[in-house]
Amino acid sequence: MDKNSAALYKKMQTEVESYQNLQKSCVKMVKQRALLESQLNENKCVLDELNLLGPDNKVYKLFGPVLVKQELEDSRQNVGKRIEYISKELKSSSDTLENMEKDMLKHREAVAKYQQQWQVAAAMK
Amino acid sequence: MAAPANAPGKAEMIDLTKLSPEQLVQIKQEFEQEMTNIQESLSTLHGCKAKYAGSKEALETFQPDWENRQILVPLTSSMYVPGRVKDLNNFVIDIGTGYYIEKDLEGSKDYFKRRVEYVQEQIEKIEKIHLQKTRFLNSVIGVLELKQAAAAKMLQAQQQQSQQAATQSS
Repeated sequence: MDKNSAALYKKMQTEVESYQNLQKSCVKMVKQRALLESQLNENKCVLDELNLLGPDNKVYKLFGPVLVKQELEDSRQNVGKRIEYISKELKSSSDTLENMEKDMLKHREAVAKYQQQWQVAAAMK
Repeated sequence: MAAPANAPGKAEMIDLTKLSPEQLVQIKQEFEQEMTNIQESLSTLHGCKAKYAGSKEALETFQPDWENRQILVPLTSSMYVPGRVKDLNNFVIDIGTGYYIEKDLEGSKDYFKRRVEYVQEQIEKIEKIHLQKTRFLNSVIGVLELKQAAAAKMLQAQQQQSQQAATQSS
């Protein structure tokens, strides 16, 4: 292998590596997003249920092993805030995921390019 | 959820027959993976539904004249202590994310009924998607088999030709 193709090979390898790294973090992000989605769903269910309650229903929240009585209005607000927060997180994670996918595409194209160059170089010999 | 469910249908119309067998195999594998995921969530949902239905059934057995009735309260799955039903009309229900609410008997039953219905809706939604994916997967497999058969035929024809050529030349 001459110098040129060796350099190309090295470049290609770094591209492949960064692509694989991205792929790994991508999988992680997808998992995290699924978790967020399920949390959002659960919170929505809870809020629906809280909205159905009348003023004479008592609400408790679990702190460790004890149930603490809560004001209905407070609980509604808390769950609403949580839904807001999770939605924000979900959006940011979707954005990151999108960027990652774009980066991955770039790396993939770069790998293909180097591969081609390398093949050309090999054929010239 | 509608978009990904429609997408495979479209792809089916456009490509399938134009794809190479390798691509088809890849698609098939991806879909099979998806199908397993769907199966898993379906069985989880069925489990949830059974749990809710079980709670509801337990409530159904409660009779209004059970006030002060003696019952055995399970401390563990194999150890019980005697107790008495004091308050027939207050049930504390876990509604998720650490929140518990107090409801009367009818309200509790209603809660579980709604939960069961909700889960059933989700199951039906997923089953629809599952059916669509199964159909798509089947058509992928069908095209793949056709392609493989065609390839095998071609190979055979080639072999025959070369054999004939060999016998002619000898």
